[in-house]
Formats: sequence, structure tokens, C-alpha cells
Amino acid sequence: MKKNTFYIFTGCVAVALLAIFWYSVELHLPFVLEIAIIIGIGAIYFARRTVTDLIEDERSARITEKAAMRTMQVFWVVFCAFSIGAVMNMLYIPRFTRLPLSERPAEMLPPEILPPRTIGYIQLGLLCLMIFLYVGFRLYYARKYGDWETDEE
Amino acid sequence: MKNKIKVFRAMHDLTQEDLAQAIGVTRQTILAIEKGKYVPSLDLAFKIARYFNVTIEETFTYGEEARMIDVD
Repeated sequence: MKKNTFYIFTGCVAVALLAIFWYSVELHLPFVLEIAIIIGIGAIYFARRTVTDLIEDERSARITEKAAMRTMQVFWVVFCAFSIGAVMNMLYIPRFTRLPLSERPAEMLPPEILPPRTIGYIQLGLLCLMIFLYVGFRLYYARKYGDWETDEE
Repeated sequence: MKNKIKVFRAMHDLTQEDLAQAIGVTRQTILAIEKGKYVPSLDLAFKIARYFNVTIEETFTYGEEARMIDVD
């Protein structure tokens, strides 16, 4: 398979996955999308192995590696900070009071700042943002390692 | 890191695409190396030097030497 054919194939798979996404949302069938994603990524992987042109060399591998590393470095700090805060929000933390024993409440629960469902959605959102972060870093390193340099030939 | 790839390429009458195909990288990588945007691995540096039948020292200039050339 030629390089351009592979890119067209990848584009077609992406469009098909987008269509399946909306289809599965409309029918409330999440497993359709899950199966489609596995099949789609598998098809891209096998198509990539049949490409005869050179599509990756050490420079592009280095760009990918640096972008992935920086994404993880930024992402885990943000994700862990939020998650630890969320766990502390959910856990019961005993509070000590100086009130006389007779006036103490039976149980002191911490105020719930974020409901667990919202915490899950925010974590999901952070995961989605990681993709944009990766794309951003990839563009940065591609520029740094001369991807858009003008040719003098 | 400075290099003389462009000079050797001109001497051998090669395009960036020709050299890239010969040593198994993309044309963009050759362009990035020539412009000093990317420092190749030792493996790739050897491949380039051997392709032109010269030593690595003749092809690439590192550190102080590169700075001295800049001053000159």
C-alpha cells in the first residue's frame, strides 16, 4: 500500500467511526461504538503494516516520544491533583470539636462540594483534554525538529 | 552541531530525496539535519558519513569546533 492510500484509508475509518458514534448515541447502544473502535484501530494497524513507503523514521519517532512524554508529565499532575481532591471530598474525615459532649452532633459529615458523578465527568473531560494536549505538544515538537522548514532545493 | 551534508550532496549531485531514500529516512529529516534543527542519532550519522565515503568528523562538527567556525 502507498503512503497516500494509507492516509486516505485512515481518513475513511475516522469518518466511519464518527458516523457510528452518532448512530450508537441515537440508538443508545454504546457497545456498537466500542466494537467499531476496536475494529477501526485494528484495521488501521494492519493497513499500516502493509505500507511500502517510509512513513516513520527516527526523527518522527522522536517527535512522538517527546510529545507523549510531555503530555504525561503535564497530565498526571493535573489529573492526580484533581483526583486526590475529589477523593478527599468523598471520604469521611472526622472533625474534632471543642463543644461539650452533650452538645456535640452525633455525626459530622464533610460538606459535599462535588457529587461523585460530577467528579467522574470531570475526570472524563480531563482525559479528552489529554488528546488536545498531545496534539499541541506534537505540533510544538514537529516545529522544533524542522517539520515545516522551507526547502532550498 | 554543524554539518556538511549539503556540501557533500552538491558534490555528489544528489537531491535531498535521493539521499533520504538511500539511507532510509524521510526527506524532511535530511532537511532538518541540514538546517541544524535535528541532531541525528549515531547510527544515522554513520550511515550518512559512510554513504559519502567520509568520516563522521568530516561530516559533523561538534561543540567548541562548531563555535570556532562560527567566530571565524
